[in-house]
Amino acid sequence: MASKPTVPDHVPAHCVGAFNLYKSPEMRPTPFGDPFAAVAKLLDGPSVFYAPETTRDGQGAWIVTTAEEQRNVLQDGASFSSYRRIFSSAIGEDWPVIPLELDPPEHGKYRSMLNPLLSPKRVAALEPFVTAKAVELIEGLKARGASAEIMTEFAFPLAVSVFLAFLGIPDDRLMEFVGWANELLHMGPAERTAAAHKVLNFLESMIAQRKAQPADDFMTFLVKAQVEGRPLTDQEIRSIAVLLFIGGLDTVATAIGLDLYFLARNPDRQQELRDNPAIMPSAVEEMLRAFPSVTPIRTATRDMDLGGCPIRKGDLVSCPSMASSRDPAEFPDPNTIDFNREDNRHTAFSYGPHRCLGSHLARREIIIALNEWFARIPPFRIKEGTAPVTFGGFVFGVENLVLDWS
Amino acid sequence: MIIKVDREKCAGHARCWALAPELFELDDEGYVLPRDIIVPAGQEALAGRATRACPERALSIGED
Repeated sequence: MASKPTVPDHVPAHCVGAFNLYKSPEMRPTPFGDPFAAVAKLLDGPSVFYAPETTRDGQGAWIVTTAEEQRNVLQDGASFSSYRRIFSSAIGEDWPVIPLELDPPEHGKYRSMLNPLLSPKRVAALEPFVTAKAVELIEGLKARGASAEIMTEFAFPLAVSVFLAFLGIPDDRLMEFVGWANELLHMGPAERTAAAHKVLNFLESMIAQRKAQPADDFMTFLVKAQVEGRPLTDQEIRSIAVLLFIGGLDTVATAIGLDLYFLARNPDRQQELRDNPAIMPSAVEEMLRAFPSVTPIRTATRDMDLGGCPIRKGDLVSCPSMASSRDPAEFPDPNTIDFNREDNRHTAFSYGPHRCLGSHLARREIIIALNEWFARIPPFRIKEGTAPVTFGGFVFGVENLVLDWS
Repeated sequence: MIIKVDREKCAGHARCWALAPELFELDDEGYVLPRDIIVPAGQEALAGRATRACPERALSIGED
């Protein structure tokens, strides 16, 4: 029986909004949709409002729309905790994924251990592998014909094989892992629980293997790593491994897909990149701004006022990056996609201490993917008779993206 | 012209370094080094752009 969404007593009626990141019409799977434009419209309204049922578990949350207010939330780990058991709750346990679900100062010691592995300078060493993989995939699909489904034939295989190589996990089960990520991030509670067990069992066997037989990879780094002068516990190792495994499976592929979805429908913008390939890094930053995919969520640790709304301790506070990245106070003409945009301090990788650990690898991967694509594929469009499907929710994205360059 | 660095706010986006690697030095973790940066003559415009690129507002322009 459907029941009316409940609004907590402390939320005044004028603070309740109608928008919902899961259930609003534009957020549902939509052929040729633009969920980003729908979120951008929130900037016409209040900087903070209450949305009943706006998490994937159907909980209500305060949605923060402006860049300034999101910075206030995401930079302040003392007032807004990031501990939510996003993974462990799926298997009926209670532990944080590390470092994402730890708050400062506890967070810092693990983050310091991991930062050097994915620093801008270290990421440069991975570029030859990324390039070789991108070329192999593009040449492969070109040899098969003049059209391809981009997510399954290019974006996921590229992003996931790079990440698995970084972790030290063989990629012969790549599409199986992508399936697990899909079940974890986009499906209901039963699928999520089953997928969480599969991920954990797999990672635990990897960890045991690396303990017995060290290699030169991230998993081995973890089993040998020290924090505060002691080795990591088994629980810490699996909490870190889970986060990195999940974090790398979905978002980079999503970004590549969303960029090619935009470019396929805008031949003039393709031409702009063909005429001036040097602007690709700046174009990729702009598309990260225009089409970011994630929504950081925090829990208030105290009562406070935010944007004129009464937040109570324990309330969820949701910071969709696709809202703050379209904030006109931060970005002139926010809905214009300008490949030469200056001062592009977008929020695709979030703000504050939890800034995406993999951001430097992610942006290099996207740039390389698009550079190699443009170097090898002539002008392309959505294949006639097919319809890409966009969706909102936990991670925004696009599927069934069939491109045609015949 | 100098650039003031608020190291507490730096979250390692490295957008400053991407635009002006000769002005900004990163530590091994990817955070900007916590010290005032003296901008050489002629690089003021670049320094301004790199400062405005910081998502965290960790950088600001000051007078030396």
